[in-house]
Amino acid sequence: RSASARTTALAVASLLGDDKPETKVWRRIEARLEERLPGRFRFRIVTNGALGGEKDVADGARLGSIQASLSTVSTLSAWVPELQLLDLPFLFRDADHLRRVVSGPIGDGLKQRLAENGFVVPDFIDYGARHLLAKEAVTRPDQLQGKTMRVIQSPLHTKLWSAFGAVPVGIPITETYNALATGVADAMDLTASAYAGFKLFEVVPYLTKTAHIRSSGVIFFAESFWNSLTEDERAIVTEVSAEAALYFNALMEQDEAESLELAQANGETVLLPEALSAWQEGARTVWTAFEEIVGGPQVIETVRTTA
Amino acid sequence: MTASGSRRRSGFAEDRRGAEQRNAPSDAPWRDVSRRLAAALEAALSTFAAGVLAVLLVLVLGSVALRYLFSTGLVGAEEAGLWLFLLLVSLGMPLAASGPLAMRLDLVARRLPQRLRLPAGMAADGVTVVAGLTLVAGGTDAAGLMGSTSVVLGLPDWLRPAALAVGGGLLIALLLLRRTAEGLGLSVLLSVLIGAGVYALPVDYAISWPPSLVALLLAGIGLLLGAPLAHCLLAATALAVPFGSVLPVPALVTNAASGLSRFLLLAIPFFLLAGGLLTVSGAAERLVRLAASLVGHRRAGLAQTTLLTSLLFSGASGSSVANAAFGAGTFYPQLVKNGYPPAQAGAVIAATSVLDNVIPPSIAFLLLAAATDLSVGALLLGGAYAGLVMAACLAVAIHLVHRGTDPMPRATGQERRRAFLAALSALGLVLVVVGGIRIGLVTPTEAAALAAGYALLLAVAHRSGRASLWSTFRQSAVEAAAIGLLIGAAAPMTFLLAVDDMAGMVTGFVTSLGGQAVVVLLLCNLVLLAAGLVLDIGAAILLLAPILLASAVAAGIDPVVFGVILVVNLMIGGLTPPVGILIFVVSGLTGVEARKLFRAVTPYLAALLVALLLLCLAALVL
Ligand code: NA
Ligand code: NA
Repeated sequence: RSASARTTALAVASLLGDDKPETKVWRRIEARLEERLPGRFRFRIVTNGALGGEKDVADGARLGSIQASLSTVSTLSAWVPELQLLDLPFLFRDADHLRRVVSGPIGDGLKQRLAENGFVVPDFIDYGARHLLAKEAVTRPDQLQGKTMRVIQSPLHTKLWSAFGAVPVGIPITETYNALATGVADAMDLTASAYAGFKLFEVVPYLTKTAHIRSSGVIFFAESFWNSLTEDERAIVTEVSAEAALYFNALMEQDEAESLELAQANGETVLLPEALSAWQEGARTVWTAFEEIVGGPQVIETVRTTA
Repeated sequence: MTASGSRRRSGFAEDRRGAEQRNAPSDAPWRDVSRRLAAALEAALSTFAAGVLAVLLVLVLGSVALRYLFSTGLVGAEEAGLWLFLLLVSLGMPLAASGPLAMRLDLVARRLPQRLRLPAGMAADGVTVVAGLTLVAGGTDAAGLMGSTSVVLGLPDWLRPAALAVGGGLLIALLLLRRTAEGLGLSVLLSVLIGAGVYALPVDYAISWPPSLVALLLAGIGLLLGAPLAHCLLAATALAVPFGSVLPVPALVTNAASGLSRFLLLAIPFFLLAGGLLTVSGAAERLVRLAASLVGHRRAGLAQTTLLTSLLFSGASGSSVANAAFGAGTFYPQLVKNGYPPAQAGAVIAATSVLDNVIPPSIAFLLLAAATDLSVGALLLGGAYAGLVMAACLAVAIHLVHRGTDPMPRATGQERRRAFLAALSALGLVLVVVGGIRIGLVTPTEAAALAAGYALLLAVAHRSGRASLWSTFRQSAVEAAAIGLLIGAAAPMTFLLAVDDMAGMVTGFVTSLGGQAVVVLLLCNLVLLAAGLVLDIGAAILLLAPILLASAVAAGIDPVVFGVILVVNLMIGGLTPPVGILIFVVSGLTGVEARKLFRAVTPYLAALLVALLLLCLAALVL
């Protein structure tokens, strides 16, 4: 009875299936914690989005029904608007650049803000770069003029594609395949692994490696769960999660490469963007629109100049 | 359907009123005041709900117009739509607590001896009180805990659980007023006390059953008592908390709110509206004339006309309930006048209305797509084939059942042409919906809005009075609220089932039996047919589809084909006792006893089972 009383059950939500990094990362955390703190936790990892979408899961963490999950920063910006800094287009040069920023003082500040809002974040994760996908070849921004663009429901994304003259339309990801197949939308943007996962290469045969946004996220634990741990246990969970974050990034990078190969094997044309300054110019309008929200132009400048 | 709701009062209330009147002297002034207050509240709520539906329609049509006419998008239109739908459900839920919309399993309550009916009815009201308190308390707590702001709308997210809390409060208030007006003031007070007591029970039951199983059992008990299905689901998941459920009441409420916040589901109010307006505009009647000119001269010509009209109507409407209500209004008098016995006439109408939810557009497929992430487009295409197979089987059954009835005179070629031209505007609706989606002009939700807009134009062109248009909006709004509440109420239950990994257990069990496609299909069909006996179609889809689909995919069955079989299966449940929503609707509108309809519908049930068998064989071969 005393042993079971010290066992804490965790409901962990994963949006994807068992073979995806989103689930594998939690199996890794579960296994490592069992080694370090045998019998202390009982994980219930619920896969395939059965516990709801990202926002639902984050709500659940605040209301006590879910103890841990991954989340993109876009979703958590409903609580911490400053997180949209990490979503600013053409701001991060590559994965290493993003990693250095979130590992430094800016990342610490964001973690602090998340903790104040009930999300304890041991580390940030990187879902990979979002690229442009289109039914016709698009390498310069002016080619987007008048095209219907499937966007996620976020002012940041809407603003970005409007800046290039595209018509943004919000379509749930599950209906996106149909919308592109029938022509409700002409283009969209997504990470390579999600692109392959939804078999979108069948309907948007051109991928332009714009890498305009690095899709970043966090591993988080619910505050109520965190408060039930001792100081030592928190240190161990933090350490294990931080190690798992790197494991996730590595899995994601591998998944991205494999997804691109799979897409190309299916007749996908991969293009490189041209007129990079024109792309960046459009993105600057987003920086300006969001500079106050993310903490002022100096924060954007700090990120830009981070080596 | 609300029309049927007002005509057909919930069973036990009438019985109890009888019992009460014998026992207690009438307290007339109180009852009169309550009756007037209840009526005023109902009128205000349905007007608000209809207004919200109208705004929703303008919003979705507006964003399509902006896209095509001005090449620009409406930022936040989707999210605004979802918030409006939540508001619609909150305002409409108190109205959907009576009549067929409540989806009460009152067959058990009706069989009870007279002296047990009052306590059973009070217990059923107690379930409604627990559901209402769950929404009030959980919604209020959740509103205080959310803390987020919608990035798109710039509005605080606490408004969403708060809306459900208000809806829950109004639900209890209207229940109190209605029962007091029925002369049951004391017993409803007792129900509130019982409900509040059960809700507040400070007990921690240490039992080893999975909490989801406890919740299912509790919901089953509520259903047997005759409480509305959605209330049973909410109350049961709230009462499962002391049994170790991981879903605290505030989380339960936000869960329900997000369960009904899916863009696809916005199509539901629009399809209901399109179906209602189609009838008001007279377009539906022109479809009848076309069908009659095509098949009226065959044996059982009028019954075959009913079938063909239902098929045509199905192409434009997404709701079998609307189809049944339309058939009961238009065909029933005609069929009886032409010598069909009343029960036979009602059975034909109920059975053919099944097609509406199988042939695209279909609310059932929208629900399935939302619950399982299957593509709506692929499901609708599968549904079109399945619907035609079912229609063919029903045509044969009608042919065999009605040997004795006289055919109508054969229409001339010219008459057929004229009927076709007259029905063109109604057939245009089919083109708007199916064409709009397939050619790629619009998403399914937008297509539904276009259908409603088109039907509205038809109604205006037909000079339907403003009053009848407005009443169609009110009716559709309340129906949409009833369906929406059910979707929301099913979400916490599916959450508990997911945490307990019921899908994994079912898949494991099926695999242990060998896991061949035939075995899986057979088992799933048995489970679904059994579920269809007692569960509403919508609830069954939301609760069972994710669980059974996992097994079917593991056995190598195509998920879309399986989805179609699942819907067909559950639609058949709309015709079976004890809960057969289509039978109830027809019974409510025609006055034929449900018992007699259940018996008369048997040959068509057999025909639909043959169709199901054919579909399953196709699934195994394909
Ligand atoms: Na239909
Ligand atoms: Na049934």
